[in-house]
Amino acid sequence: MNTKLNTDGSSKKKVLITSIIFMGLSHSIYFKQYVKGILYALMEILFLIFIPSIIGKITDMITLGSPQPNIPVKLRDNSIFMLIDGVMILAIVAIFVAIYVISVRGALQEYKEFCINKQFKSNKDSIKNIEGKAFPIMGLAPSVVLVVFFVLVPLVFSALVAFTNYSAPNNIPPNNTVDWVGFDNFAAMFGGNATWTAAFGRVAVWTLVWGILATVTCYFGGMIMAVVLHESKIKFAPVFRTIFILPYAVPSVVSMLVWKNLLNGSFGVVNRTLMQWGLINSPIPWLSDPTMAKFVCVLINLWAGFPYFMMLTTGTMTAISEDVYEAARIDGASKFYIFKKITLPLVLYQTMPLIIMSFTHNINNFGAIFFLTGGDPVVADTTSTSAGGTDILVTWIYNLTVNLLKYNYASVLAVMIFIVLAPFAIWQFRKTKSYKEGEV
Amino acid sequence: MGNKVVRVINKVVVYAFLLLTTLFVMYPLVYVVSAAFAPGSSIASLSIIPFGNGVTTEHFKNLFENTLYVTWFKNTLIIAVATSGLTIIVSSLAAYVFSRFRFTMKKSMMMSMLILQIFPSFVGMVAIYVILLRINGLDTLWGLILVYLAGNIPYNTWMVKSYLDTIPKSLDEAARIDGASHFRIFRQIVLPIAKPIITFLGISSFTAPWMDYIFPKMVLRSSNKQTLALGLFNFVTDKKNEFTNFAAGALLVAIPFVIFFALTQKIMVTSLGGSAVKE
Repeated sequence: MNTKLNTDGSSKKKVLITSIIFMGLSHSIYFKQYVKGILYALMEILFLIFIPSIIGKITDMITLGSPQPNIPVKLRDNSIFMLIDGVMILAIVAIFVAIYVISVRGALQEYKEFCINKQFKSNKDSIKNIEGKAFPIMGLAPSVVLVVFFVLVPLVFSALVAFTNYSAPNNIPPNNTVDWVGFDNFAAMFGGNATWTAAFGRVAVWTLVWGILATVTCYFGGMIMAVVLHESKIKFAPVFRTIFILPYAVPSVVSMLVWKNLLNGSFGVVNRTLMQWGLINSPIPWLSDPTMAKFVCVLINLWAGFPYFMMLTTGTMTAISEDVYEAARIDGASKFYIFKKITLPLVLYQTMPLIIMSFTHNINNFGAIFFLTGGDPVVADTTSTSAGGTDILVTWIYNLTVNLLKYNYASVLAVMIFIVLAPFAIWQFRKTKSYKEGEV
Repeated sequence: MGNKVVRVINKVVVYAFLLLTTLFVMYPLVYVVSAAFAPGSSIASLSIIPFGNGVTTEHFKNLFENTLYVTWFKNTLIIAVATSGLTIIVSSLAAYVFSRFRFTMKKSMMMSMLILQIFPSFVGMVAIYVILLRINGLDTLWGLILVYLAGNIPYNTWMVKSYLDTIPKSLDEAARIDGASHFRIFRQIVLPIAKPIITFLGISSFTAPWMDYIFPKMVLRSSNKQTLALGLFNFVTDKKNEFTNFAAGALLVAIPFVIFFALTQKIMVTSLGGSAVKE
């Protein structure tokens, strides 16, 4: 075989085919980069050796094992392990394919440089280059491995569970196996099963209302405090500012649990105080009336969330140039007019991305609901669906997995959250500077 | 004359508003402090006037003598320090690579990280549990640290990357021509300039483990491996209400946090605003 390459670019096809036939082959025979070529080749050999077990794992993932009621529980097929292993194997195969693509592209790049320079890089050059080439790989490797195995694989697994019947009481490994059921769970959630459909509708609406209310109240609450402290020019502004930051500094688990106890209907301090003062005759059901509890959630979230936006607005307001105000004042604009026409639009414009981010955060704000109400109070369908009056989608997912063991329905909810929130993430990506400048 | 009256009224209204807000903000905090020193155990016996039943330090004594509070604190500290340190190293390295190198699939990798960070990590709880089981990471602190670290990477890498993009490339190109290795440029040039965002990253990944409840509950089983959030939560479950013990324990965590936040307020504000607003 002719291992000489033409410098006019006509050997491109030859390089391409050789590099596709076996990983690293063209590095070894054409470019005399033996170390790289052998490393690539070893990788492919390793992959080829494992092909039988890879196929086995993927078959397991497709079948999810078969019921074996006659053998001991320990030896039965565990569908969930099979599914997770399958997803991991797919991830590894994807990484291998990616490296393959990189090796082919690398070979073509090498050839392009050869055509320009009419010679191979000297040994000294390529050694110097090793550090340069290896750095991005070494830098990214830990992140990629961790994210793939602890974030991506679990999420893909969760998404796949939405298409199985993984749920109590009949399909919980290791006693029983799990089967693929297609879109059955989605069908049940969206009209197929009246109880679940009603619960889903109720929780989804409340999640959206909660997300919007929590964001809006905290944002404007924080902004009002920042503006009052900034504009009123009172002597003690820094003192008040420090006090108002306290809720942000206290760990939210602590503050939510404290509020939960203070607002307890029968023995909470709030009700006892109000009764002692004679303001009310019977305890107010702060957390046990569904509507009242929702209101309390938003209010307490305002307590915990306004300091963040207060700090943020203060930061942006102090960054607005004094010249702008000066000019407005010379033109005789009133204080309120300046605020309405200058401060507010500028602050809104600057903090808009954060409002969106805060909204997606609130949709997923597990702690604010879980520690304050735990999803309670109980409503009509709570016993069968485990969705309480203040449960949002994420806390419901938690209840479904931990209490009811309905993993399949929990996964349907996770998929729904994804469908709703993914556009926000993509939007966020598109407006970053690097994306706009075509850098990525 | 009329002008002066308006000004006074204005001031009174502003002060009334601020004092009311102060009351709302301080309300639960005052009760945590008073409950931590109040005799008795449940919230039902707590006086509605703060410190109304006298002062005792028995709850603190109880925490140190009869519970594993010190162990919880130590475990949480180990987890927080390790998570924070590792997140800084791993995320900033990845961010540097994303910011300065061009490579195949860069765009799709960054896009997927952004999409991954919208999920609360406990959505993948079952799979994480099985994976930890496979690598013997259940009931270990390092298992939990790995989970936190991996969960931190997508968002934080993005954040640091956006910051690094604002640092001119000419700086490291000059060093590169002088023959400095990438790692040296990263350590001696890029990291010092990126200090504000790295500090912010360190603080935010240090504070998160103190408040998390779900993963410790799932991963850690033995009583000597519990974290603070688990231990404190167990004081006020539906079955028992030891609000005063809870308050004492919570107070001991909250105080260092409040001091810490008071000290780092400025950094947090600038980083919070700066990193997101600039983009």
